Amino acid sequence: MEINTLGLTAALTAFLSIWLGHVAVRKIEATSRTIWIPTITALALGLITEYCSLITDNLSLKTALGILGVTLLWDAFELHRQEKRVKHGHAPANPNNPRHAKILAEHSTATTLDLLKRDPVGRPVPPDEAPKLITH
Amino acid sequence: MNPFGILIGLVTFTIIGLGFPLVIRGERYLGYLWWPYMMGIGFLIIIASLFISTDWLSVVTGVLGATFVWGSTELKEQAVRAELGWFPFNANKIKPPFEEVIKKWKAPHL
Repeated sequence: MEINTLGLTAALTAFLSIWLGHVAVRKIEATSRTIWIPTITALALGLITEYCSLITDNLSLKTALGILGVTLLWDAFELHRQEKRVKHGHAPANPNNPRHAKILAEHSTATTLDLLKRDPVGRPVPPDEAPKLITH
Repeated sequence: MNPFGILIGLVTFTIIGLGFPLVIRGERYLGYLWWPYMMGIGFLIIIASLFISTDWLSVVTGVLGATFVWGSTELKEQAVRAELGWFPFNANKIKPPFEEVIKKWKAPHL
């Protein structure tokens, strides 16, 4: 039986590009003073990657670029969703970033704490206990 | 100028989108300790993609497997979100086989 590695290529590209986007969106949103510059950059990179997928003749490369391009386009949108999470306190605000400092001043729900940075305890956790469970 | 890659990108987008409710519901009804099973299923699906000769079907299968593997690394954080009340919390979860062994392993998070 012939082995077809195209699915494996797609799986690796999907996993790595989701991982990259996941980490990059959080890092860039936390450090960038503006949200629109990274958004436009991700959009442009996504479109360029899709164009490269369109013009290449190599099927593996076509597949990988097609997947990477779509995740970059999604990352542009995720930057905004990440800023919303910061406003809700669902992601930590960076007080050294003027944009985040403004969010901290204007949104009472925003926090510098990363409430997700811990192991599950198996029961509902009230808001006053949540900060104590964070592991450093 | 063959749009195979772009079409695959859109299909991938849809499959990853299905990963969101998979993680949310999976964590709610089963719990994050099922992560090794979810990861194992993902790897099996990816291995299965190697034996599919139809290109687009092999790709879709591979991406589906990758979504399961990625989802398995998201279960732990989803469990914390539910504990914090950001998602509904269900106390009556179905326990995984070998729960005590899995508890000793560090749940992956990327």
